[in-house]
Amino acid sequence: MAKRRAISTTALCWLFLASTVLCGLAAAEEPDLNGLWQAVGTAHWNLEGGHAEKGPATIVLGALGAIPAGHSYVEGGTIPYTDEARAQREEYRSEWNLWDPVVKCFIPGFPRQTYMPLPFHIVQSEEKIFIAYEWGSNSRIIHLDRPGTRGELPSWMGYSVGRWEGDTLVVEVTDQMPDTWLDATGTWHSDQLKVTERYTPMGANHIEYEATIEDPQVFTRPWTIKMPLYRRMEEGARLLEYKCVPFAEDAMWSHLRRGADRTKPVLKNLY
Amino acid sequence: MMRTKTLLLTMMVVLIAAPATAEVPMKPWGKPSLQGNWDFKNATPMNRPERWKDKEFLTEEEVAEYQRGIVDRRAAAAANEGELREGLDGQADVDVGYNSGFLELATQLDGSLRTSLVVDPPNGRMPAMKASARERNKPYVDMQGVSPDGPEMRSLTDRCIIGFNNNPMRSGAYNNIMQVVQSESHVAIQVEMVNDHRVIPTDGSGSVAATTRFFKGFSTGTWKGDTFVVTTTNFKQFAAPSGTGDNVVFTERFTRLDEDTLQYEYTIDDPETYEAPFTVRQQFRRTDDNVYEYACHEANYSLPLVLRAARKLDEAGGSDENWMPSWHKRARQ
Amino acid sequence: MARTARRFVTTFAAIAVLVGAPLAVNAHHAFSSEFDANRPFTIEGTVVKVEWVNPHSWIHVDVTKEDGTTESWMMEGGTPNTLLRRGISRTVLAVGSEVIVRGYQSKDPDCVPKCRGSGRDITFANGESLFMGSSGTGAPRDGSDPRER
Repeated sequence: MAKRRAISTTALCWLFLASTVLCGLAAAEEPDLNGLWQAVGTAHWNLEGGHAEKGPATIVLGALGAIPAGHSYVEGGTIPYTDEARAQREEYRSEWNLWDPVVKCFIPGFPRQTYMPLPFHIVQSEEKIFIAYEWGSNSRIIHLDRPGTRGELPSWMGYSVGRWEGDTLVVEVTDQMPDTWLDATGTWHSDQLKVTERYTPMGANHIEYEATIEDPQVFTRPWTIKMPLYRRMEEGARLLEYKCVPFAEDAMWSHLRRGADRTKPVLKNLY
Repeated sequence: MMRTKTLLLTMMVVLIAAPATAEVPMKPWGKPSLQGNWDFKNATPMNRPERWKDKEFLTEEEVAEYQRGIVDRRAAAAANEGELREGLDGQADVDVGYNSGFLELATQLDGSLRTSLVVDPPNGRMPAMKASARERNKPYVDMQGVSPDGPEMRSLTDRCIIGFNNNPMRSGAYNNIMQVVQSESHVAIQVEMVNDHRVIPTDGSGSVAATTRFFKGFSTGTWKGDTFVVTTTNFKQFAAPSGTGDNVVFTERFTRLDEDTLQYEYTIDDPETYEAPFTVRQQFRRTDDNVYEYACHEANYSLPLVLRAARKLDEAGGSDENWMPSWHKRARQ
Repeated sequence: MARTARRFVTTFAAIAVLVGAPLAVNAHHAFSSEFDANRPFTIEGTVVKVEWVNPHSWIHVDVTKEDGTTESWMMEGGTPNTLLRRGISRTVLAVGSEVIVRGYQSKDPDCVPKCRGSGRDITFANGESLFMGSSGTGAPRDGSDPRER
């Protein structure tokens, strides 16, 4: 006959205490990414870097309207385009501002929206992370509670599913429209693009941002970019508004104004 | 001895197994959760109709009857349509767009049993707009009634700069859905149409100069008890709520009533526009529907279509009276 | 092809009466600024593409003319977010559907790159229809009047 074992009161007390402590620890696990952040640098101009040069706006903006020098953000230095895709990239690059969707104030998609030169605000909760971007007044929602799902339709910001790996927020972005670029040098891609972002805190005021870019149609292999994100430290720093449609309209539709020559649009690839 | 053990065991089971028992979901830092996707379509009239003049609330039976009426009348109309009408109705046809297959029309009142969304003034009707305010707004409406010189002569919504059911959130033809994500320091609200977002601090902080203007205005928020109060000013011209002017103070109050209901109340205070401040209140319903991206400007084919048409008309030496639908003309007379 | 169309839903007259208040109907913008009531058309063709874009979806229809050439049309429709939520895509807007469309052509009369029209009614072979016309009532809110926001 088995001896009936009783759980001692002491053991129960320890079990209770342990479970409370563990619950507390579990709740405190993830880093807090809340706040106003910004990439600083030249990634939005040119991921591969280069020297300073004139741009399309130099004629009217002078020294304020040129493209600055930058280093490469690409691991390995250059973007591994296939030969065919690179040829197309160079065609776009030669008159980039006539084709760049961002000149038209189109939604940049990822990773480019992250390093546009204006801040973004991360609002973090357990199930969802909302990021509001000042550039374009665009935003995205990262679903932490929908692992393995995909978007129902392609979208300009894509569909973001996130998870925590230790201290790193890993975000998989799928289902992006094929019409975006990765910077201002004609870095186009196809509808097969998949981007995996990693946000890892480096101290209280910096995040290390990495993005791995995969698109078997245009790149020979996946490749990665990396840059810090900086917390905006000014007192009272707030996400402001840069709704750029009114700025893009001149470039897009000036040929359709009364008195203009409607057969001569400024930009290409208009709808 | 046994009793202590039983007590301890019971305590453990209760504490581990018990869900958040408050009817209102709470955030860990002790504030009500506003988080989730919220459906704000509703059929409650903004202004109290004449037939309910002295009635602030309907009974549940009256609400049910009214709602059945909506559904029945739509079904009857659909059944009565039958054959396609032989003739086309010309301008009337052009004036309006798609049918309810494309619309997200409400079949329910907002859940509060009220006869109007306006709760103050007590008669449930918006106060009159001042004549001077009408004059002030007139150029914005009038410019849309003529052949456009350029994109600036179409409305902010035509140009995909703002949506037409945000600031305030108000039930319209479609995209009557928003999502809220909330941290301790900020509440993010994104309405689906044009994906207009606001990220509002909860500590009441922030100010900008009077000359600094945004399409979404400038907002700050504080918790007053269980209600999140948002004050917004500094709207750009013609982006302000309900036709108000540069000095409007737009106050919103968000209160989570229960698991499935968010009460949204707003007060518009602009003595330069309305004879008195007025307050509107509606209950939003929690939904599992997605808030989708609304990339508006990226495929706004209609804008260049309108501009090209205007230019071709210019060339042909023609003129056109129909840049606005016919009901706008009637309303402006 | 069945002429008796089973409509999706109702005319706007009924809706306006029911709700008793200005109803925010329709467009992100006024269709009347795009389409010309004096240019009605009727076409019969095949749906070749549906663009799921905002602010309005566009339904592309190719028409084979008597001389064998193809005339391409596009008709403006609702926001895809609503169509998605209502499951419209699967039941109605299928590529390959044979349709008859009556509507009004754009004020820009040139079919470059395609003819543009407001599809006042689009009738499918299965008898279902999309009715995008009007009984001409109501005072819809479409963002043009700042008072109505």
